[in-house]
Amino acid sequence: MINYHPSIETLTDYAAGSLPLAHSLCVSTHIEHCSECQQQIRKLEMLGTHLFEQAKTEKRRLDSLKDSFFQKLAELPEQDILKKEQTATEPEQSWKDEYRIPRSLRQFIKSSYDDLNWMRLSPSFKIATLYNEEGGAQVALTRVKAGAHMPTHTHTGDEITLVLEGAFSDESGVYRQGDFINRDASHKHKPIVTKDAECICLTVLDAPIEFTGWLTRLLNPLIRRHHPYSPH
Amino acid sequence: MERVTQLEYDEERAADMLAVAETRDQAALARLFDYYVPKIRSFCLAAQPGANLMADDIAQEVMIRIWNKAHTYKPESASLNTWVFTLARNARIDYLRKNSRHQSDIDPEFLWQNVVDENADPFKDAQQKRDQERIKQGLDKLPKDQKQVLAKVYLEGKTHKEAAEELSLPLGTIKSRVRLALHKLTIYVKR
Repeated sequence: MINYHPSIETLTDYAAGSLPLAHSLCVSTHIEHCSECQQQIRKLEMLGTHLFEQAKTEKRRLDSLKDSFFQKLAELPEQDILKKEQTATEPEQSWKDEYRIPRSLRQFIKSSYDDLNWMRLSPSFKIATLYNEEGGAQVALTRVKAGAHMPTHTHTGDEITLVLEGAFSDESGVYRQGDFINRDASHKHKPIVTKDAECICLTVLDAPIEFTGWLTRLLNPLIRRHHPYSPH
Repeated sequence: MERVTQLEYDEERAADMLAVAETRDQAALARLFDYYVPKIRSFCLAAQPGANLMADDIAQEVMIRIWNKAHTYKPESASLNTWVFTLARNARIDYLRKNSRHQSDIDPEFLWQNVVDENADPFKDAQQKRDQERIKQGLDKLPKDQKQVLAKVYLEGKTHKEAAEELSLPLGTIKSRVRLALHKLTIYVKR
């Protein structure tokens, strides 16, 4: 049962295509688990369709564009294209471990979360950067051992967390697979992973998080160095 | 009267789409080109006024995708117009991604594909037509200020934040206009 969803604004921006890609990645992963939001997106896309239909078009001859289009089409090797389309919708493969990689993340993770380049920040806490948007957000996975505390931290920008495996809780609730959690700079929180299993999350950080514990504060320069926003 | 004609046009295009998928009919593709390309161009120009080359590129790209993906289009899970709108949206994102200063490594191709419902059934089909009709009629009745914000988000590709800046309105006002509009269109139901 999913309890935490993206806001209607986020879903609207996603359906309209105006949401930054890093955030869209989180929404996309969420709706793989959430039929409720899938329905919402379908309706939002219908709305987009009507606006698209009603938009004013200019009267302009498009003959030369049409000619060049059909010329381009004639030069396309059809077989190759069909093959490419097939790979985009390839059937479920078997994964190396018990985890199933969400479709939206398969462009980064081929067969197992273990394949990623994990950086250990504490004995129970690891992070792997999927990619850094130039001048933008950091997209990463975090992996925390069962029952472990994540160091207390505040956000210096917006943070989206999407639970992929396991569960964690903080002062405001318990978050399970598929839950979408949006935190802004005013939040300071101390998540704890549930005791039964490790927890893997997808996170998008618009700016580096800052640890506030007296010892973990030492990690801040390291975190900042890995975030694209940081002054090097 | 007008609605009947509209429906007939929709059916003609659906038949053209089928001909493209099944018999690779280029004359049918040309008719789809005539109908959709002006719309795709103005969709692109709304986001980047004056960028005619970009609009031409994206329109061609969308038509190529229609040709190449014709066999994947499922009329029972989305109307043809919606399918083309999503192709245009994704192509625009892709173009901006490849050509902008803020390059991104995320391939948008993977981010929207799972919205397609694979278990469409006749009941859902009817439900979908009802939703569509309700949204279309509701849209015509919306107050101007609400429609303006929706157009900013959908056609101009602005986030809520950017729309607020451009209209010199507080973000809260933009959010409530969108929420009100979506509520009237019965898209947004408070959880």
